[in-house]
Amino acid sequence: MSRTAPRLGPTAPKKLVEDGDICPVCKSSRYLNPNMVFKVNPECYHKMCESCVDRIFSHGPAPCPIAGCRRTLRKARFKKPNFEDIQIEREVDIRRRVASVFNRREDEFDTLLDYNNYLNEVEDITFNLIHKIDLDATEKKLAAYADSNKQSIQANVSRASQETTSFQARQAAEREQERLRREAARRDDEEKKRILEENRRNILNTLATTDGDANRIAKEGQRVALKKSSARRALTDRRPDVVASDPFTAATANGNADGGAFVIKGLKKVVEPEAEKPYDPFGGLSDETQYYVLQDTYQYEDVDKYMSDVQYTAGGYDFGEWYSRALCEAFSGLGVFIGEETSGRDAAAAVPIAMAATAATVVGVEKSADDVF
Amino acid sequence: MAVSPLPLYNASPRSNKTKPLTHRPNPKGSSADAASTPNPKSKASIDGVLDLAERLNAETKSQYIKGKWLGKGTYANVYEAHLKSNPSQLFAIKKMIVGAEAKDGLSMDSIREVKYLQELSHPNIIKLHAVFSSKNQNLNLVLEHLPRGSLEQLISEGDIQYGSADIKAWMGMLARGLHHCHSNFILHRDIKPGNVLVAADGELKLADFGLARSFADPWTRMTYLVITRWYRPPELLFQARHYGSTADVWSVGVIFAELVIRKAWMPGGSDLEQLHLIANVVGLPTEDVWPGVSKLDGYIKLTKDPAAPQTPVQHRQQMQREFALVGPEGVDLLMQMMALDPRKRATAKKVLMHEWWNMEPKPRRKEDLPRKVEKSKEGMADALKRKPGELEGGTGRGDKVARKIDFGAFGR
Repeated sequence: MSRTAPRLGPTAPKKLVEDGDICPVCKSSRYLNPNMVFKVNPECYHKMCESCVDRIFSHGPAPCPIAGCRRTLRKARFKKPNFEDIQIEREVDIRRRVASVFNRREDEFDTLLDYNNYLNEVEDITFNLIHKIDLDATEKKLAAYADSNKQSIQANVSRASQETTSFQARQAAEREQERLRREAARRDDEEKKRILEENRRNILNTLATTDGDANRIAKEGQRVALKKSSARRALTDRRPDVVASDPFTAATANGNADGGAFVIKGLKKVVEPEAEKPYDPFGGLSDETQYYVLQDTYQYEDVDKYMSDVQYTAGGYDFGEWYSRALCEAFSGLGVFIGEETSGRDAAAAVPIAMAATAATVVGVEKSADDVF
Repeated sequence: MAVSPLPLYNASPRSNKTKPLTHRPNPKGSSADAASTPNPKSKASIDGVLDLAERLNAETKSQYIKGKWLGKGTYANVYEAHLKSNPSQLFAIKKMIVGAEAKDGLSMDSIREVKYLQELSHPNIIKLHAVFSSKNQNLNLVLEHLPRGSLEQLISEGDIQYGSADIKAWMGMLARGLHHCHSNFILHRDIKPGNVLVAADGELKLADFGLARSFADPWTRMTYLVITRWYRPPELLFQARHYGSTADVWSVGVIFAELVIRKAWMPGGSDLEQLHLIANVVGLPTEDVWPGVSKLDGYIKLTKDPAAPQTPVQHRQQMQREFALVGPEGVDLLMQMMALDPRKRATAKKVLMHEWWNMEPKPRRKEDLPRKVEKSKEGMADALKRKPGELEGGTGRGDKVARKIDFGAFGR
């Protein structure tokens, strides 16, 4: 508390006369117009107040009114900057633009190294764009990538939007709560501010004000009118340029071939999710036998005598299970071909002795089974 | 060896003992080379005492490296183990405790377990990889490593949440495992949530075949002192000596109910209390619903609590209310599995053919099933070791990636 209180005192009035609060175009200051809002155009990032934007650009594209800047600006692209530092505003805009094109995700890559390489590549492009290094080539690269990866970009965009919507749905209630809280806080804040402003205006009213140089203002207006006409001319001049740039972008495909291409390594193959199969409770396994068909009853005196015994019936003993077991055991020797097994054993001298021992027992079983047939 | 889909059981006792040593496919094939020495005696003469069986045993034993102790059961200690040739492949070694009940060599339990597990190969049955003996003739079973606890923990741990899709997936796996046992003529006879283990990929595995036996011949008597009491069917409580595979189905039915209500369904303190619980919860075993029941050795005339549902219709309504989570079809399946008369009870195959499996919701895919939350001592130790200010999961992949700021989110 003791640290912040003395700082607030001197800075608050100082801010009014600071450079940032005077519009560089119309020179009106926040001091006179407390509701002044500054806007920038991402074309050149020159700051100007909202009324200037309305005044100059309402009738269509016009050149930037800042001296030395000849870029044509459109009203629609003007926006309120998020950051005080216009360099940061620009960097963020560029990053946003790059991120909207290079929107691959980690899970699209085979290895972490591939993903990191990709991120590095993207950061190189971003850095070049921000620091205006190799601007043409980099822009070309970006456009070429956007062109050739339209589908995956679109897929990732829709994926992201899906995620956000589900996230939003989940947190909707929470956000609503937060909003209400914020609203209350803001109302509180505004009330305070309003009182403050009122005080300030009262002070202003009591002060006498002198008019600025009327001559200069008139000159300024003339110059803007001049620029507007010249801008229109420039625009018509530039139009063929725009058309000419079309084959130029087409040429980027060729430019790709000679090494300037943006190649992503280690991308996973996109696997289409398999259609969901109906659930099989047996898990694909069957207990069908191929050698015999199980009858409901068999004539077998040794067993028949138990069938009427209540100890068996009430206990849940299932004679069908016994039949199926007996049959299975009877047929288990089928399909063993001694010839194949012994020849296989002779051929491969490396068969473990233990295996040979098992084979020997198998032979024994089979011989007795042979008698049946 | 045989093309027959079903395994053969009438192997002689001698071959039963040697089989686990010889039958296992070698994970690396290293021992095949060693075993291929033409004359076993040549090596035995060098070693002095080793005969073929001992040599094979030593070979199997040397393939595995026993790790830390995992836990202790009544009859066995369980250790973690891995392959010597591939440390990332984990196993669990179940070392049988030589106790009083194993005076003449091996305990009945371990013989049963080896005998039946080596025959069964199914995704829902624990896999026996090898068997070897260590010093003092201790029997070691090399089993599949199942790190994610048992169904018991899933049921009882309140912080795990699951729904009817998960129950259906679990029951499907359990019923498939049981059906495989039964179609190979093996009775498990100790099915309970603690014996149903969860594999790393979420698959349930039927384990502990210490009480298993193959289907009895009509002229042999079976013991009725099997299956943990809460999961014991009424015919065993009535001391039937001749019972069938539907005894296991009862146990699975109880597990089904416990999965839904998430607590013990019929926790009887004694056999008599268990019978009373069954009478009240499932129904009164009378000659009407179960012809011949009164002739069973251990039959006791039971009476119903006046509070319990009296008529079959009331009973069904009561069940519908209690197990509303699985829907009317699920309740129907449960009631078929809980039929008092073992002959009217659904067999494992009939369970799998029930319409409930095809109803909505579909069973959850096994990789999406809820899993046990790891709260081990090691986890706590890790938490204490962590530096202040470090985030949880400091070794995750994400930490190696440069932090990506979402610039698209600015100024929206």
